[in-house]
Amino acid sequence: MEGDERGFRVALVSGELLNPAPGALDAMPVLVEEDWGAIQLPAADYPADVAAPLLDQAAEQAEEFARHGYRLAVVGGHEGLAEALERHGVQPPPQIDPTSASELRSFLLAAGR
Amino acid sequence: MPGVAFVAHCLLNQNSKTDGGARCPGIYSPLVDELRARGWRIEQMPCPELAFTGLNRFWAVKEQLDTSAYRRHCRRLAAAVAGAVELHVRRGDDVILVGIEGSPSMGVHVTSSDPKRGGRPTWPEGTDELSPGSGIFMEELTAELAERGVQTPRAMGIRHQLPDHDAQAEQAALAELMEAG
Repeated sequence: MEGDERGFRVALVSGELLNPAPGALDAMPVLVEEDWGAIQLPAADYPADVAAPLLDQAAEQAEEFARHGYRLAVVGGHEGLAEALERHGVQPPPQIDPTSASELRSFLLAAGR
Repeated sequence: MPGVAFVAHCLLNQNSKTDGGARCPGIYSPLVDELRARGWRIEQMPCPELAFTGLNRFWAVKEQLDTSAYRRHCRRLAAAVAGAVELHVRRGDDVILVGIEGSPSMGVHVTSSDPKRGGRPTWPEGTDELSPGSGIFMEELTAELAERGVQTPRAMGIRHQLPDHDAQAEQAALAELMEAG
């Protein structure tokens, strides 16, 4: 599949890193700069009955990318993500809890190789 | 908080597009930037075609996907999204939906239709499959919200795969949608 502009790199990203509180780390511009797409993980303020099916869908979609050899990474995370990925047969991708944009950038550069 | 925008999956992940459809490596930032500049929270909806027909899927019209199995798949995904929409609506948040015009699944006002399309994936040059209406996922999401007693939020679709795409007009339309609450 080489017929368009896709980057073949997909990060599963905590909702709070895509919708950051004032002053908190914003992952969005770093993902854009480093040419990564995002699968958004459920927000931490969602109750378990709302978050669980969303988390399962995120893992289900990640599986399709993994099956086709796309690079996967986890930025932040969510309780139950590892189990959801395992249920869908996805090997644990590299993961980071970034504390700065530069740290996240370095991680994505390495994970995308 | 100004509001919550539930956006089509591919707005944050162009890797989910049918081959030939990705406009950038990952995040389609012009519209994401517009939402964020106004302080809107972004929530990504799933790509219903990705987990059903996969990354190697052909471009399809609505009739090709409109099976009971695909509707059940969309309803399962829509139920999860509706749970989050309902949560925000009950909290009193302003909620909008941003789909993909021309999509057989995510179209809001424009979908794609050709009842004769099938078989070997070639068709006469110039065949126009765009038609008024919503895609299958959007129909199932609307039905799921109605069952929960939640009014369907204001909605628009991104038009970047339509021949008359005008990026500035699209940003203006998104701004108007946000302000209409």
